[in-house]
Amino acid sequence: MIHLILFVLSVAAFACLALSMERHQRDVVRRVLSAQATQQLRAMGWALLVFSTVFAMRGLGVGSGLAALSGHTSVAAGVVVLAMMAHARRHR
Amino acid sequence: MSQVDRSPKPRGIRQTMSDLHIWVGLLAGWILYAMFLTGTASYFRDELSRYTRPEIATPSTLPDAAAVAQRTVTAIMADTPAASQINLSLPSQRMPWVSAMWASPGGRGRHGFDSGLFDASTGAPLQARDTGGGDFFYAFHFNLHYMPAMWGRWIVGLCAMFMLVAIVSGVITHKKIFADFFTFRWGKGQRSWLDGHAAVSVLGLPFHFMITWSGLVMLAVLYMPWGLAKLPDKRQQAEVISEMRLFLPPQKAAGHPAPLTHVGALVQQAEQRWGTGAAGSVQVQNPGDENARVAVVRAQSSRVSTTPNYLLFDGSDGQLLQIKEHSGVAADTQGVLYGLHLGRFADAALRWLYFIVSLAGTAMVGTGLVLWTVKRRAQLPDPQRPYFGFRLVERLNIATVAGLSVAMAAYLWANRLLPVTMDSRAAWEVHLFFLAWAAMFVHATLRTPKRAWIEQFLLAALLLALLPVLTAMTTSHPLWHALAMGDWAFAGTDLTLLALAALHSLLAWRTWRHAPKAKRARPSAASRNAVPEAGA
Amino acid sequence: MSVSRTASVLAWLPLVSRILAALFGGYALAALCSIAALALPIDGRQAVFTGMLAGFLLHAGAVVWVFAVRSAWRAWLGLVIAALPLCLIAQTVGDGGGA
Repeated sequence: MIHLILFVLSVAAFACLALSMERHQRDVVRRVLSAQATQQLRAMGWALLVFSTVFAMRGLGVGSGLAALSGHTSVAAGVVVLAMMAHARRHR
Repeated sequence: MSQVDRSPKPRGIRQTMSDLHIWVGLLAGWILYAMFLTGTASYFRDELSRYTRPEIATPSTLPDAAAVAQRTVTAIMADTPAASQINLSLPSQRMPWVSAMWASPGGRGRHGFDSGLFDASTGAPLQARDTGGGDFFYAFHFNLHYMPAMWGRWIVGLCAMFMLVAIVSGVITHKKIFADFFTFRWGKGQRSWLDGHAAVSVLGLPFHFMITWSGLVMLAVLYMPWGLAKLPDKRQQAEVISEMRLFLPPQKAAGHPAPLTHVGALVQQAEQRWGTGAAGSVQVQNPGDENARVAVVRAQSSRVSTTPNYLLFDGSDGQLLQIKEHSGVAADTQGVLYGLHLGRFADAALRWLYFIVSLAGTAMVGTGLVLWTVKRRAQLPDPQRPYFGFRLVERLNIATVAGLSVAMAAYLWANRLLPVTMDSRAAWEVHLFFLAWAAMFVHATLRTPKRAWIEQFLLAALLLALLPVLTAMTTSHPLWHALAMGDWAFAGTDLTLLALAALHSLLAWRTWRHAPKAKRARPSAASRNAVPEAGA
Repeated sequence: MSVSRTASVLAWLPLVSRILAALFGGYALAALCSIAALALPIDGRQAVFTGMLAGFLLHAGAVVWVFAVRSAWRAWLGLVIAALPLCLIAQTVGDGGGA
């Protein structure tokens, strides 16, 4: 269960961070978001990552938690990349 | 990389780091690919060891560790009264039998040790086909094969150091590592390969850096023994080494017989201290002698660091002699690195994460190797007649990136099909692995590159997909039965093999569909999962 | 004829020099570091581990340095400059040296 939560949090975090970049905003939402929205997305993304770290360490112990989080963030980032690729292909 | 700069301006740091990255990556790439792929498989070493010994029934429950220890020691002592040392690993969820080694004057193995597997519930020896199981991929990963282990480790270590340099130089050269973090440009030939290579490299960077540094640290006693040699006495040196590998100081037998204390009770003490199931192995020195010693060692599955934790008892009266549960900070750091590399502490979910990210690391090396040819193919004066170096790299790429999958599948095929009564059966499973791999090298030179890629991917897909069929036909663990029983060593392996077969089919299909990038933009799909840009 | 052949061989020297510096010079530096670590004011056995852990990173860093700098001479110079203090410290680590 905790792994599912960590994974979902990681995907959400990276989705926010991805959308806080102009080039990805153009690809996904077809326009550049306002500076405020961009900042909020970036803050949200980092906040989710920090929260996941604490959550992982509390749930699995420091060592296992950090190791688990590292795995989840790597895979989650990959998922976000693949999702954006799929989106780009469909809307080419 | 000419130092005498004939070019108008000096090469920037990013360019020199790129050159360095390409060179160290290329030179070590094929061995690194093999290390990564066999290493990835090794995260399921225990499951493979069970998958390759289908005649051993899967027990439904795990008996009490204390009883198991007592039963096994008694059985070995009854069978080999002259045993001077007995090491046994207690059963676990992943490895539900007892694996034991015992030394005696008549021992046939290394250092006079015999070994065997024992039933956890009855203590009876288990009969299984002679096979290396999952241990072959694991040992190959750092010892290679057909050479003294030392040589293998030096080669592997050199490649690991090349990998570390590749990581550092790769990070330096990747100018827009943050801006490009989520970028993948599809269908742009070399650019796409570069993006794919960067993606698997950067997204898995914490793992890749950890696995490389920890890999070197694990064999540091071999690669960097200088500090150790400077320690004032042998005892301190032994203490350092014993933080990396369990090493109990040998105890001379007194020559006076004394009955061995109840080992089970000692294991019970350990479990009371560490928790149920936290006792991993038992070592008995001089069983049946006055100077007997029993060490109960903590299981690796319950902690990250590999610094040995154990309870040492007097073997004749059961008195607790020593508790080792702490190590110094530096030793612990090394232990954590070691433990992170092995991943033995990981639960099922984390183990799958290890597997996936490690597979990404394998893809990192593979895409890097292919990228080399993609980039240079565009620069070939005559694409139909590339220079020798290019042809060499291209064929080595095919035989390694596609061929190794064939070889690994062939190993499992050999495991299923070689006659049980055959001499040196385990050695022959390994020989067939290498024969299959060698055949892939030959095949890669005989066929045109594109056909070679496709055919090897297809062969791998076929061998992988048929393994569950083979398992159903030759063992009592067909996939549907294993799923019904929740026997994940068999079901999980079969399903993973099917998934890998699908992946190889996809790779074959994408390669077949691919046409090299012409001058005008064509939808030549070039994801990290597809299509080496091979000449037809 | 022979002049240009000599010239072309000589053109490779800086690269070969750097490769040697990276492989052997870097390793020597790492080895010195692993010995010098014993001079740290910590338990000798911990110092051994510290030296091992740092040694590999130092070697990798040295390799990157060797190829990053502008000339092979600078590469060697940098290694020597880094090695000197380590060498001096390593000398103090005789048998029984360290805390």
